[in-house]
Amino acid sequence: MADTHEHWLKQIDAELDGELPLAERAALAKHLATCSHCAGARASQLEVRVALARSAGNPHAFVVPRPSIRAGTLALWVAAALASGLVGGWFASQRWGGPGGGSALEETRGTIVVQ
Amino acid sequence: MALSSFSSVVLALAALQGPGTRLTYRIRVIEPDAGAQHVLASGAVSGPIDSDMRLTLRTDTAEVEVLFQVTPVGDTVSLAGEFFTRRRVGRSRRGLPIWEEDSYRRLIQVTWRDTARIYPFGSRSQVGALWVELVLEREFAGGEARPAESFDLADSTVDFRLEAVVRPRRARVILNLVRGDTVSAPRPMDLVPEQPPRVVQLVLRGRSTTLFVSLTRPEPARSPRERGLGREADVVCLRVAAPAAPPGQTLGTICGRLNNIARQLPLPSGDTLTATFAWPGWR
Repeated sequence: MADTHEHWLKQIDAELDGELPLAERAALAKHLATCSHCAGARASQLEVRVALARSAGNPHAFVVPRPSIRAGTLALWVAAALASGLVGGWFASQRWGGPGGGSALEETRGTIVVQ
Repeated sequence: MALSSFSSVVLALAALQGPGTRLTYRIRVIEPDAGAQHVLASGAVSGPIDSDMRLTLRTDTAEVEVLFQVTPVGDTVSLAGEFFTRRRVGRSRRGLPIWEEDSYRRLIQVTWRDTARIYPFGSRSQVGALWVELVLEREFAGGEARPAESFDLADSTVDFRLEAVVRPRRARVILNLVRGDTVSAPRPMDLVPEQPPRVVQLVLRGRSTTLFVSLTRPEPARSPRERGLGREADVVCLRVAAPAAPPGQTLGTICGRLNNIARQLPLPSGDTLTATFAWPGWR
């Protein structure tokens, strides 16, 4: 497994140097999609290279920042927000009631009939 | 012969619905009371055939304002009601009342002298819910233009109001020129809205002032509620211009209801023009 990672790390190095052929770049991309370890290593490599480029006087070098929240954490927060909204809405409805005092709007509206 | 009798019937109907016909709304507010009917208020509003009626009814928990409009269709009449209601739906945490506003329109076809029953707060089947009985009448009145209202409140716990809503076809405008404590002779004029300007000459202390005056209608109210209830219906505006002024340039505009209250416009000469708007007299 370590050998495999060594192989892919070399591939990443070559890819960032622009020396990897198209077929191998495609294979690397496919691997990065499934291997978070190699994807993280590639991102670190890229950040190091950008830092070096900036210190060498290239102010335009930049890298897309890594997401600071993982998908699982984000999903957890969304679920927590929805749950707290539902609980708050239920509590407010119990405490103060909904609009119209619960009766249908049409029942409270005026009507005209001929005698 | 058949044709001539048909024509005479058509002419008679046209005459009944023409400007000489007067429309009357007769109203009774009724509350059911242990099987009997208790009349809380009654009244009548009359005016030209295009008169509308505004009815206001308030209780502790609800307020209804309705503008009734009538359109004669042959022997029947189309009665439309523009309803604006406020209902108390509860109290806030700090104990303040929370109100709900609603607006809707109702339309019904009736014959003259039919009794239409209006349930202003809804809930026809609700026990104890008051209703309003409305009867529409028409009669020949020889061109009387001003509206009339009569009103009798039997139970003062109900806040009930009836108002005629009439858009004047013409207005009586009485003009005066004021300088210090001197006032010119009043100059009454019958003006028709949106007609070309008329020349008026007012003399004060031997000095004559000539003005061009015309009557217009005000801009429609911005709020849909005010517009729907016809609050600005009897407001007219008097545009005052100098004789040599280019079109569109005025000395000022005075707006007001036809309620005999004098309204003032300062003129560049230092004098003040006062205009009193009133309903025109009999023709």
